[in-house]
Amino acid sequence: MLEHLIVGVSILDFFKRTLDPVIALSIIAVLDIFLFVSIGAWTVGGGETMMTGLMAQAVMGDELSRLPFWNLVFEPDAGYWKIYISLGMLFGAFVGAILSKEFRIRFPRRLSEWVLISIGGLMMGIGIRLAFVCNVSTFFGLTPEINLGGYLAISGIIAGAWTGSMIYKRILEG
Amino acid sequence: MSIIGECVLAFVFGSAVGILVQRSRFCNTAALRDAILFKSFRNTKALLVAMMILTMGFTVFITLGDGNPMSFDVGLNQVIGLFIFGIGMVLAGACTVSTWVKTGEGDIGALWALLFTFIGMFLFSLIWSYNYWPPAPSSMTGNPNLAALQFGHINAKTLQERFGIPAVVFGIVQTLILAFIYRAILKKESVEKVNV
Repeated sequence: MLEHLIVGVSILDFFKRTLDPVIALSIIAVLDIFLFVSIGAWTVGGGETMMTGLMAQAVMGDELSRLPFWNLVFEPDAGYWKIYISLGMLFGAFVGAILSKEFRIRFPRRLSEWVLISIGGLMMGIGIRLAFVCNVSTFFGLTPEINLGGYLAISGIIAGAWTGSMIYKRILEG
Repeated sequence: MSIIGECVLAFVFGSAVGILVQRSRFCNTAALRDAILFKSFRNTKALLVAMMILTMGFTVFITLGDGNPMSFDVGLNQVIGLFIFGIGMVLAGACTVSTWVKTGEGDIGALWALLFTFIGMFLFSLIWSYNYWPPAPSSMTGNPNLAALQFGHINAKTLQERFGIPAVVFGIVQTLILAFIYRAILKKESVEKVNV
């Protein structure tokens, strides 16, 4: 009885405090090693591409197969496991936000924010597909596998983040 | 493992990541942007620690002949693609993880970024269907293809096979380099604390 109470209190406490990101990322890294041994390392871009294909197929039907990309690189398949990592992250974050009472619908306030988010989102989508990898597979997959692609991707993302930060700084300074 | 088993495992893993990232406020964009703009390393340190654990874990399993390393040819498209991605994530204020996590918290801006990521991917599929670059995985050989700006496929597993050196040796070297960067950040932070 007392043990259950203690466990219950510590779970509630978990959702009250902000977790140290070093601890959170260490746990994620251990889980990622299990995933790597079972099916493959953590990645997000592949699942997002497959979702794009599935959504495009729902809208365009058989017309989509006229685009070689969707035959030769990503053939739409709802059984692609990487999709479910992203859906899991959405679900986990929703549960975390509800239990910590941090869930609330919020919108970007200014038009400039909507524009920046739109341009940024487009660039992320194009960049992921051009590179075949996203930031997650760069830092949590390729590079820990000592893959040359990881080092190439890291050099690209650092240069991109620096350029983006300079643009962002200019915008902040007006 | 069956397809359903893989999907369930991926969902459980994703859910755990979603909760942990939501509770810790970790952000990959901030790990790079804050280090560059504000010299703040809260997220950078977490990223480095995770990379150290992963490097050792992955390379130990690769040495034992286990694990599922990614296998495809790499080239200049990784540099250019992630350069474009890097600018995009700073402008959008979110990366691939935080778009999903913030959407789960009710952030419509993150959902909007996600929507435009999908649109960007679809636009890329139109361009690719015209110029076929970078090469499709089915046409990759693992060897350099300089005409297509591809350097082939090199990772801890191929290095182990080619040179007979256990993958974990490369893992130890990389972990030490990451630890050196981590230590340099800690030193920088302690100097700044003293100055304050």
